[in-house]
Amino acid sequence: MTESTVRSVADEQEALEATLKDEILRMYEEVAEQPDGDFHFYHGRAAAELFGYSTALLDKAPESAVASFAGVGNPHERSYLKSGMTVLDLGSGAGLDGIISAWSVGPTGSVIGVDMNPAMCRRANANAESSGTQLECREGRMEDIPVADDTVDVAISNGVINLSFQKRQVFRELFRVLKPGGRISITDIVSAKQLKQSIVNDPKLWAS
Amino acid sequence: MFELLEEAGFARVKSAIVPGFRFRHQSTQNSAEAYGVKAVLFTAEKPE
Repeated sequence: MTESTVRSVADEQEALEATLKDEILRMYEEVAEQPDGDFHFYHGRAAAELFGYSTALLDKAPESAVASFAGVGNPHERSYLKSGMTVLDLGSGAGLDGIISAWSVGPTGSVIGVDMNPAMCRRANANAESSGTQLECREGRMEDIPVADDTVDVAISNGVINLSFQKRQVFRELFRVLKPGGRISITDIVSAKQLKQSIVNDPKLWAS
Repeated sequence: MFELLEEAGFARVKSAIVPGFRFRHQSTQNSAEAYGVKAVLFTAEKPE
């Protein structure tokens, strides 16, 4: 491969990543704004119940956080959170998983959300406030997590890492921010077969 | 993802399929099944 071919492929990748980012932002804003919309995936309370979220917690959580839920599983099943822990919710969206984590770690713990969408971060912070919990949502990319080294006890994430073109970098970042002995509990989508290039190059399919 | 987690340095990497995950539309679900698309819960630890 010549240098110009490598550059061309890199440019193409960069353009695709930018398009994908825009499409993801649009899609998740749509879920947040129109929770009754017709999406490819289950979302909101129906999805959370499908994945075994406690009805009592869903009743207690702000309606806006529940309605905007767009996860693919239940990372709380194996997060084993305890009072006083520091939790990172990577791709925190409207904040449901962060709020549930905040209830688990209590007032002596802390929950940091990270989301690339500033509007979603504001929504998560507002939802946390109305639930009486503290969630600090930081705007940032999962490939460059805005959290200091060795500071997190448990990192959770729900249906977000599959959206990254640089998953290796995302896992390096998760490793960096965790304390020694720290853990991850993440739910995500995987594919057993290599997807066709036409699927990989279609931002709408990635985002859905 | 399993391999990527190990490569990043994580230990005790475990995975379990999320029961009940499916796409809302049958056509999407059919395509997903053809590619072996699944939702998975991963757990792992950063060594002490």
